[in-house]
Amino acid sequence: MTREVGINQLKRRDFLKAGLVFGAGASGLAAGYAAVPDAFARAVYAAKKEGMTNENILVMIQLAGGNDGLRTLVPLADPALHDLRPKLAGPMVSQALPLNSQYGLNHNLGGVKRLWDKGKVAIVQGVGYPNPTFSHFESIRIWETGDPTRRQVDGWLGRTLATNYDSNGHPLTGCACGATDAPGALRDLQATLTVIQNQKTFGFTGGTEVEAAVGALYKGTPGIYGALFDTAIATATETMATLRTSASTYQPMADYTDKVRLVYSSKNQLAAALQLAAELIVTGTGVKLLHVTLGGFDTHYTEINRHDDLMGYLDSAVSAFYQDLAAHNMADKVLIATWSEFGRRPKENASGGTDHGAAAPLLLIGDPVQGGLYGAEPSLTTLDNTGNLKYSVDFRSVYQEILSGHLGADAAKILGSSYDRVPFLKAPVAV
Amino acid sequence: MSVAPAQDQVITAPARTRGITRRQALAAAVATGVGVGVVRILGGSMQHIAAPRTGTTMDWISPLKSESARVMQLLRRTGLGYTPTHLEAALSDGFSKTVDRLIETPPAEPPVLAAANTPGGRFPVAQLQQWWIDHMFTTSTPFAERMTLFWHGHFTSDYRKAADDTFMYWQNLTWRRMAMTDLRSMLMSVTTDPAMLRYLDLATSTGQSPNENYSRELMELFTMGAGNYTEADVREGAKALAGWQVPQPDSTATVVVDAKNNVTRKLPVYSSQKSGVFNPRRSYKGSVTFLGKTGPLDTQGVIDRILAQPATAPLIANKVVQHFVTARPSTGYIKNLGDTFRRSKYDMKTLMRAIFTSPEFVADQSYRSLVKSPTEFMVHTGRALGISSFSKLVAGHGSGMGQSLFDPPDVNGWPNNEAWISSNTVVERVNFVTAAMGQVKGSLPSPSDGIHRHLDGVLSPQTASLLNQAADDRARWFILLASPEFQLK
Repeated sequence: MTREVGINQLKRRDFLKAGLVFGAGASGLAAGYAAVPDAFARAVYAAKKEGMTNENILVMIQLAGGNDGLRTLVPLADPALHDLRPKLAGPMVSQALPLNSQYGLNHNLGGVKRLWDKGKVAIVQGVGYPNPTFSHFESIRIWETGDPTRRQVDGWLGRTLATNYDSNGHPLTGCACGATDAPGALRDLQATLTVIQNQKTFGFTGGTEVEAAVGALYKGTPGIYGALFDTAIATATETMATLRTSASTYQPMADYTDKVRLVYSSKNQLAAALQLAAELIVTGTGVKLLHVTLGGFDTHYTEINRHDDLMGYLDSAVSAFYQDLAAHNMADKVLIATWSEFGRRPKENASGGTDHGAAAPLLLIGDPVQGGLYGAEPSLTTLDNTGNLKYSVDFRSVYQEILSGHLGADAAKILGSSYDRVPFLKAPVAV
Repeated sequence: MSVAPAQDQVITAPARTRGITRRQALAAAVATGVGVGVVRILGGSMQHIAAPRTGTTMDWISPLKSESARVMQLLRRTGLGYTPTHLEAALSDGFSKTVDRLIETPPAEPPVLAAANTPGGRFPVAQLQQWWIDHMFTTSTPFAERMTLFWHGHFTSDYRKAADDTFMYWQNLTWRRMAMTDLRSMLMSVTTDPAMLRYLDLATSTGQSPNENYSRELMELFTMGAGNYTEADVREGAKALAGWQVPQPDSTATVVVDAKNNVTRKLPVYSSQKSGVFNPRRSYKGSVTFLGKTGPLDTQGVIDRILAQPATAPLIANKVVQHFVTARPSTGYIKNLGDTFRRSKYDMKTLMRAIFTSPEFVADQSYRSLVKSPTEFMVHTGRALGISSFSKLVAGHGSGMGQSLFDPPDVNGWPNNEAWISSNTVVERVNFVTAAMGQVKGSLPSPSDGIHRHLDGVLSPQTASLLNQAADDRARWFILLASPEFQLK
């Protein structure tokens, strides 16, 4: 059933694509589809790719810099919190939005709280990995590759693209929205992906003449960067063609405001990125794996205002996104998940902030979610030898559930091993 | 078609098999049947490409056997592009004299930025960006700007968190002056730089309750690299470094920050550039155990202990090489450069000279082995077209390509080389060329000269073919600047 739907969905956009001079036939050829040159035939091939068994979509939100878990899911009744954070704890506890007698959400997560009340938010507590690194870049890489041993170079979502979908010829299958370069999580040499910073300006200002010339210019480019350049342009031109059609049929059904308070002089860019994600989803462009990033979480300093404001950004963007998807009858297909390279130190520093930490909670939001708290509550009194929270859930367990339960992918193949399940999905498609 | 084909000799590349990656194999498969010979135009005019062929050559043909090509590559990598005048001077000097001149000429100071005396440094960052870009175009020492840009990405800070554009302006002045000195004095300048004190929170750290941010990044990103120190070193280093604060202002000014509600604030005013001040009352009094030794330790002691670590010199050497030579250096090359650097007491002139005069710098494999950063690409474009007054355009186009000056993506500065290539950034590069061409009033330089000056006459079949088909000089310049060839250095 789902395969047939897949073909029908792909049909529309492949008719569009047939008008293109330069598609991503490039990678199609190399992947062995030379015998199926026709765009529509390739689409059929794509839909039949093994493993593409449902229409579910994943949106990963990176909270870059290390999100303070204790200010996201606040322990309400633990006196140890006040000992560790004499300056920070008071307001964060008194203003929190209680979920039960023990935990509350950051007071700026009102929209997430409303989704929680409807059973659409799962929070996995104490997520981390063994022997944590406190380097942003090492830990980001570990989360991106799904490999704390640092041997894997491809991203976990990139490997999912390569094993679960046919992204060759369908560059929007994986897309980074609101970014200028590809996030490590989506990278894989065998997968094609699109990067769009801003949908309104994504296009050749020189018009179709320039588009045609550049398409011809970036073909068979020699040198070590040649294929990267050629793929970038081929992907871009095909994506533009798709967006040209989708932009005319998409009407946002929510207010994606970027005019909350400025954080570090930045507007809420997450809102615009998620609006673009919504557009790609509701117009049937074939997107499956989307990645967006909100930065600024490295709150070593004056954390009270900055972190609360960032929570407000997350809340308003995610609330609008969910509302928009629901209004377009797509909410049942989309799982939203947050990730961050680490949490923060339970003990505050002299700057009214917190230093790099370890375990932290992740949020999973959407209709596919079985709402509730998962994982063991991290102890504030039994810390590890660096003074950080001990993890109880390996982050790859969360990946495992997303991959097998939501995307119907072979999680063990992608992650290299099987991990304990965290049953945060209402109706997992495969176990 | 307006360019008549000439009968000059056409050289196609000999087949090479070195280092074909999966990606390249993909490209090879695509190109098969289209014609893959990499064509080098020897004469002064353009010509048709040889008949389509199905070779397996995937490399550019290196022209680096010739002195002039080596000089052009040197300028491309060290000078944010060049004008015909710059090029003629360097070609007449030759490679080694040009290296001497680059390294020994003291940096030309940029003009004073008038906005820098704005109370609280509250002026638009675009003014700061345009001020620097203007200087990149007009300076007599472009290498100093290239090095300042390099250090801006290495010892990075962003205007958002520094929250004072005067501090960011000072940092730019400091980085330029220190760029070719020695790492020991540089690290002291970096540690006490007011924008850095804010950006990595050392300004609010105290011995009693240290903030680890600067201590960690000083070791992880600025000097030694992850894996060469322990978490205990981070904590102990943070204690030893605590006590620095941003400088006291010379005066304050009362400024209306919200006219509607008549809100005023007292903001600092500085009459001259200052660095951070050490407040012993905020420092740590006891002894620390840092990188293997125990005892009382001040900031200079922290820096000296870091410089005594074998990991520091190779990290800096590797970073410089990624920007100036190759994205994939051999470990032997980095080790040699690191040894030279350390033996010279971390002298930057020694390191840069060793790099530019190394065989690796002009090896065939190094040809087009680096991707120009957006700033290099944009400034080079302006210079090639002979326009110098479009800093506003350059400042406005950086972010779409991934590089907005004074606003790095994170504490690791900007990523490099292949990270500059995505569907978004390549389109934005092309759009910048469209915008830049729109700024050219009047006649253009000869595109044929441009192909030799900026692309060494080494073109892909596609680029050569499009140049042949181009209707006029505007179209030829567009293709030249938008080509993959011009994105590389």
